[in-house]
Amino acid sequence: MIFSFKRVNAIFIKDWKDLQRNSYILFTLAIPLVFAAMLGRMNAATDVLSTYPINLALIIAGAFIQAAMVAEEKEKNTLRGLLLSPASTLEILIGKSALSGLMTILVIIGSIIFSGYTVPSLPLFSLSTLLGLVFYLATGTILGLLSRTVMETSIIGMPVLIIFGMSSMFKPMVENATLINIIELLPNEQLNQIWFGLSDGKGAADILMNLFILFLWVAVSFILTIVIYKKRRFD
Amino acid sequence: MENVIEVRDLEKSFQNQLALKKVSFQVRKGETIGFLGPSGSGKTTTIKILTAQLHATAGEVKVFGEPIAKLKDPIYMKRIGILTDNSGLYERLSIYDNLALYCDLYEVDKKRINEVLTTVNLIEESKKIVQKLSKGMKQRVTLARAMLHKPDLLFLDEPTSALDPVNTMHIHQGLKKLNEEGTTIFLTTHDMQEAETICDRVAFLHNGEISLIDTPENIKTQQSTSSISLLLRNNRKVVVQKDEAGAKEIYNYIKDGEIVTIHSDEPTLGDVFVKLTGRKLS
Repeated sequence: MIFSFKRVNAIFIKDWKDLQRNSYILFTLAIPLVFAAMLGRMNAATDVLSTYPINLALIIAGAFIQAAMVAEEKEKNTLRGLLLSPASTLEILIGKSALSGLMTILVIIGSIIFSGYTVPSLPLFSLSTLLGLVFYLATGTILGLLSRTVMETSIIGMPVLIIFGMSSMFKPMVENATLINIIELLPNEQLNQIWFGLSDGKGAADILMNLFILFLWVAVSFILTIVIYKKRRFD
Repeated sequence: MENVIEVRDLEKSFQNQLALKKVSFQVRKGETIGFLGPSGSGKTTTIKILTAQLHATAGEVKVFGEPIAKLKDPIYMKRIGILTDNSGLYERLSIYDNLALYCDLYEVDKKRINEVLTTVNLIEESKKIVQKLSKGMKQRVTLARAMLHKPDLLFLDEPTSALDPVNTMHIHQGLKKLNEEGTTIFLTTHDMQEAETICDRVAFLHNGEISLIDTPENIKTQQSTSSISLLLRNNRKVVVQKDEAGAKEIYNYIKDGEIVTIHSDEPTLGDVFVKLTGRKLS
């Protein structure tokens, strides 16, 4: 199979031009930044709260924006046009994720600046955040493919927001040991454990298991995306 | 001549309801073939199967001599153009930007955009945002998109259904030009005039079955009656047979300067369709 960067780039450019006129997406992208700025002003962040702007950027910009963009392609029957073109599955998926990925990285950088979060180890922080980004983009793609309309992504995405976005905040309130164990295996919790570990001066060897679990989440979400895409692409 | 499409005993069912029943036909290279039938007759289902958007329940389908599964290969997709009933456009982008995306996807020079926009009579509107276009204009943009890469095989599902006569004429001229350049065209329509104007052969699809497939001329000739209708000066209508007696009668009317109009009683494709199926096309 021939992979064409030209086709990936064409989809990215199209999404970029579209984004400039899409007020819904632009407004949604601003939410994590506003939250980060508020948190920065409060200056009373706990451990969980200190990394929450980054988690929120991943889930809002990574998953929800991606879901909305994919769902809109389905809703307006434009995904069909891409599918019936010479673009391959991989080219379409990468092309469709490129802009949300870039926007998420920018929103994460903005959130870090506005919240005043100190990045502990840039290479390891970047690696873990990148794995998290791939997972959330894949989750967003799945949500978009499962939704019939952009509006529906908010409904279908709500459990995802709660589980992958807010479970770390609920964890102190949970008393059931099994449930705590499950929460601790979730990707957002893995990211938190990595980031807290790095802040405490831990090195690569200490966070290897977290990275491995995160990688498993990425692999599973990627495979699921391909399977669901093949099943749901033609509405 | 080489067959571009070969379909044998094609069947498609939706929840135990048979939409296509043992459909068989071939489309030759360079031909324009039209599938005529009312809504629900199976026209769109046929196109969707031929373009790998739907799986057939049974039967064999080959495009460019290859099984339909191979169509997903970019090499084959580059040879095909598709306009379906729900081909979408990016509403917030301009006509030009919509087509520019597909130029890159098909690796076509962007100079081609102006050519196709001229064909569909939209060259003056290229910078307009799609959201602001009428339904007919949007249809012309999707048609331009399908023709952009000069495909070897073009599938058109009701290509002029939302267009006025002037734009329909533009589209027909564009399709004829594309066909002359070697593109095989497979179109569905319920407009018998359109089928007569641009199709080399037409197939009547009724309740998921092909009831007749031939050239429009052959279909009309085979189904014509052996009579000629005359309208005379005193507004009298006369029907004469196509035989020696009829010829003499017509001669006498001409000699006396009586004839206002004269028509051979050749049916339209619509008449033949109604006769064969008992249903109207619309």
